[in-house]
Amino acid sequence: MMQRVRISGRKPLGMAIAAGCIGTAVVLSLYVAHRGNAYPGSDSASIDAELVHIASTVGGRLTDLPVQVNQHVHKGDVLYRLDPEPYMLGVQQAQANLDLASAEVENQKRLVGVKTATAAAARDQVTRAQTNRDLAARTTGRLQPLAGKSYIPWQEYDQARVALRDAEVSLAQARQQSAAADMAVGDLKSAQAAQAASQAMLDHARYELRQTVVTAPADGYVTSLGVKPGEVLAPSQVLFTLIVDEAWYVTATIREIDLAPVHPGDCVTVYSMIDRHTPLRGHVESIGWGVMSADTTGLARTLPLVPRQMDWVHVAQRFPVRIRLDDIRPALLRMGATATVEIRYGAACH
Amino acid sequence: MISVRPLTTLPFFPLLLGGCAFRGAPSFPVVGAYFPAWMVCGLTGVAVSLGLRVVFVLTGVDAILSFRLFTYVALGVLAALAVWLVAFGPG
Repeated sequence: MMQRVRISGRKPLGMAIAAGCIGTAVVLSLYVAHRGNAYPGSDSASIDAELVHIASTVGGRLTDLPVQVNQHVHKGDVLYRLDPEPYMLGVQQAQANLDLASAEVENQKRLVGVKTATAAAARDQVTRAQTNRDLAARTTGRLQPLAGKSYIPWQEYDQARVALRDAEVSLAQARQQSAAADMAVGDLKSAQAAQAASQAMLDHARYELRQTVVTAPADGYVTSLGVKPGEVLAPSQVLFTLIVDEAWYVTATIREIDLAPVHPGDCVTVYSMIDRHTPLRGHVESIGWGVMSADTTGLARTLPLVPRQMDWVHVAQRFPVRIRLDDIRPALLRMGATATVEIRYGAACH
Repeated sequence: MISVRPLTTLPFFPLLLGGCAFRGAPSFPVVGAYFPAWMVCGLTGVAVSLGLRVVFVLTGVDAILSFRLFTYVALGVLAALAVWLVAFGPG
């Protein structure tokens, strides 16, 4: 016969204890889950800062490099210098071009003066031709009745009429010449435009000369610097990266289901794992508005790429929450360091 | 009546921990890797349930229990959650 095993379910006190423990555990689990949703956190955040990729808009040989890698620099400090000689020569060339253009303006002024005088002379010629023609007309008018009554030879009247025609042609020519001379006077516009263009070229050359000295755009740390003077740089080629240390941030990726209680301005306790015992106070500055989804890939100008799949369990998407640190301790802050964040609670938020 | 003592101390367990309230990041470095706080809580829960089992057997409390597996698991869960609430949770 099979021995009937008594399970320990016949003891009322034991059952009560079991029920009490299990019930309490369930209630407490629900409570902790509720609290956890209201106060999200992350242990995979990273310390973040803003970068400036230091480059010059002009190229040339690196002649002077007064900074070293990992050095702290202040805004306005000289970071490096390029060989200024080609750009000095450029300034000289532009200066010479400007001088040439200015001389051309002066030259053009004289030319305009000469042409103005010529035009005035041409106007005087018109006056003279007009006077001559009027005289010839009056002579012809006086001789006509005399010739009609044969008081004078017909030949004389003919000569007077020819003289009148001649004077009329001369007047027309003088008027045309005067108009042409007026038109030929011109102005200084083209010369002045050339001068302005030369001035702009000179300013540009001076700007390029200034760009051979690169200064720090902000306070920060020099990183990724591994060259010595003598290196030849192309225009806009990055020489090193400056980590701006005026403001430090923490980027925490928070699951979308935990984002609801997170609002810009919320207090955040941040622990940099460089010293995991020092809480740093920060506040939520913003929450990322978009991440690339791997489920569908929208390629430009073609159809979206959708893989065939049948997933039943979907891992929650996470969004980067940008947290700005309020108390900055340089010893604890290195870009990329692991950080733990507690949003809306923790030692720094009491 | 010595056998009742562990049960009466249990409710005060979080308070006892509260005295040495945890300070620092809820992430623990072990040979170059960070382990999350909930793992510490879980290990504490396992240790507490094992320890209570030993104590209860020695003191005879174990004899009056029924559904022992569930009871000890529940006690371990309670201990783990208590550690979480006191040491790591939103205060």
